[in-house]
Amino acid sequence: MNVEELAIKVIKACEAEHLDHMLTGAFAFNYYAIPRSTKDVDIVVDVTESGGIAKLIGRLEPEIEFRGQVQFDTLTWGKRHIGKPAQDSTLEVELFELFDDPFVQSQFKRKRRLALPQISIETWIPTPEDIIVQKLRWGRFKDLEDARDVLATEGPESLDMPYVENWCAIHKTTDRLEATLARIPEL
Amino acid sequence: MPNPHDHPTALTDLQDSIYREKVLRARKMTREERFITGVELTNEVSRRILQGAMARLQTTDESVAWADVHRRASRLRRTHDYGMYSFEKLTQ
Repeated sequence: MNVEELAIKVIKACEAEHLDHMLTGAFAFNYYAIPRSTKDVDIVVDVTESGGIAKLIGRLEPEIEFRGQVQFDTLTWGKRHIGKPAQDSTLEVELFELFDDPFVQSQFKRKRRLALPQISIETWIPTPEDIIVQKLRWGRFKDLEDARDVLATEGPESLDMPYVENWCAIHKTTDRLEATLARIPEL
Repeated sequence: MPNPHDHPTALTDLQDSIYREKVLRARKMTREERFITGVELTNEVSRRILQGAMARLQTTDESVAWADVHRRASRLRRTHDYGMYSFEKLTQ
């Protein structure tokens, strides 16, 4: 199964269950930065409706096998569900439940429509500013590299930097933002 | 460009030059082209990973190679996720 087929399968399942969703991870990153390969199809899903995640997983199985056990990220305690295509693949699906973190809510509300008829993908993705804030918040080496790539490719002059700076102040990641900006060579 | 061994900042200059080229190449593409390039890269990498496993294991049996790929990918994911994810929500 190709990565776009896997992404389409998950997007269609969200639509069939009337669940608001947003494609994140490397898919969204690639749209705003230097393209790279990925191992995951990452999707944030609004499952505030009771039983929403179970319905979505039920629709995706058995073609995508979920391990049953939910994981929590140790930064925000958001919930993650991992699915593996039953067919041989190097890819995984990661479903992230939308939750009541103020930034996560803001990011989801500001999402943009993406239509790529060439590969039959129509979905939602975060804004570049929200990807930067998110990456700086996570702060792992790869996240900081990704934040730099989005800042450099989009260009701070074309981004809503006051929005980024505001969230970085709230998350206490202003030092990371400044260090990341300083690592962009003159273009 | 100076030899990185001869000048203290030459290595940084080289890194910046490579990074600059990558960014400028990405900027020449539309956002849609970048997205599709990421999709193509992912599919190509996936294909090469399988071929690499088949060559390493000296097998023509894809299922044997996939088993090895899954084992290695699983170990890599556990390493990447270490400390970032928990099966329990800890109270603060």
